[in-house]
Amino acid sequence: MASDVSHPENVMAWFIRGNHLAIVTTEGSSSTSTHSKLGDWKAVDSATTDGLLIHYQAEPNSVSAITNTPDVDNTLHSSLVDYVKFRLYQDKAGNSADVNISAISMNLAKTHENKWTESIKRFGSKKRDKVGGDRRIMPPDLR
Amino acid sequence: MAVHTLTVKQIISRVRQVFPNAQENYIMNLVNEAIVELGKYNTKIEYAKASTVADQMWYTLSDDNAGVEINKVFRVDFMDDDGDYIMIPRLLNAQVLKMDIT
Repeated sequence: MASDVSHPENVMAWFIRGNHLAIVTTEGSSSTSTHSKLGDWKAVDSATTDGLLIHYQAEPNSVSAITNTPDVDNTLHSSLVDYVKFRLYQDKAGNSADVNISAISMNLAKTHENKWTESIKRFGSKKRDKVGGDRRIMPPDLR
Repeated sequence: MAVHTLTVKQIISRVRQVFPNAQENYIMNLVNEAIVELGKYNTKIEYAKASTVADQMWYTLSDDNAGVEINKVFRVDFMDDDGDYIMIPRLLNAQVLKMDIT
């Protein structure tokens, strides 16, 4: 069922507060009663089935079985190995009674942490970005 | 040509090259931890439809019933009287006079 709003782009807006999405409209009556009049932001006064289409960045799905493939871009899969090794070396450093093993484990943990951080932060946008083609500046046509 | 991906099993076998006794469940927990971290940077774009309720201003985003896990909303469309979804603007100054808390 379509809504009764002919130009939502002119009379409606959205905003976020915490974990909530607000949908407001300026549509209203000619009544002078408090804030129901045309022009004031207020809730929409009609129900519309599937009236909203929300575009969002989603949380990746978690893995629950060893046959699962992680729900992130495949360019980031090898970085997951670095993350796991980083944590396991940290654990080993904490558990070991031998100071030398502990120090070496901490160094290796740091190495894998750096590779992980570099992968997702420094080169992350390059790995995730799907925009292709050369970047160039188009000079204006001065004719 | 198939794209190369790593399954959890392959990740575990790589980790076990250096940690042969690492528990499968523990590695899987660490992988999930890493995935949550990646979620902050990942650009997994999804869409969801929701019905509006008369005189209701607020809609919960991480609604378990709807099965959506939203990180960031970047665009909202509203259905017009032709049944088409039209982009509506984000209200930057969200100081609305009438605040409905239902």
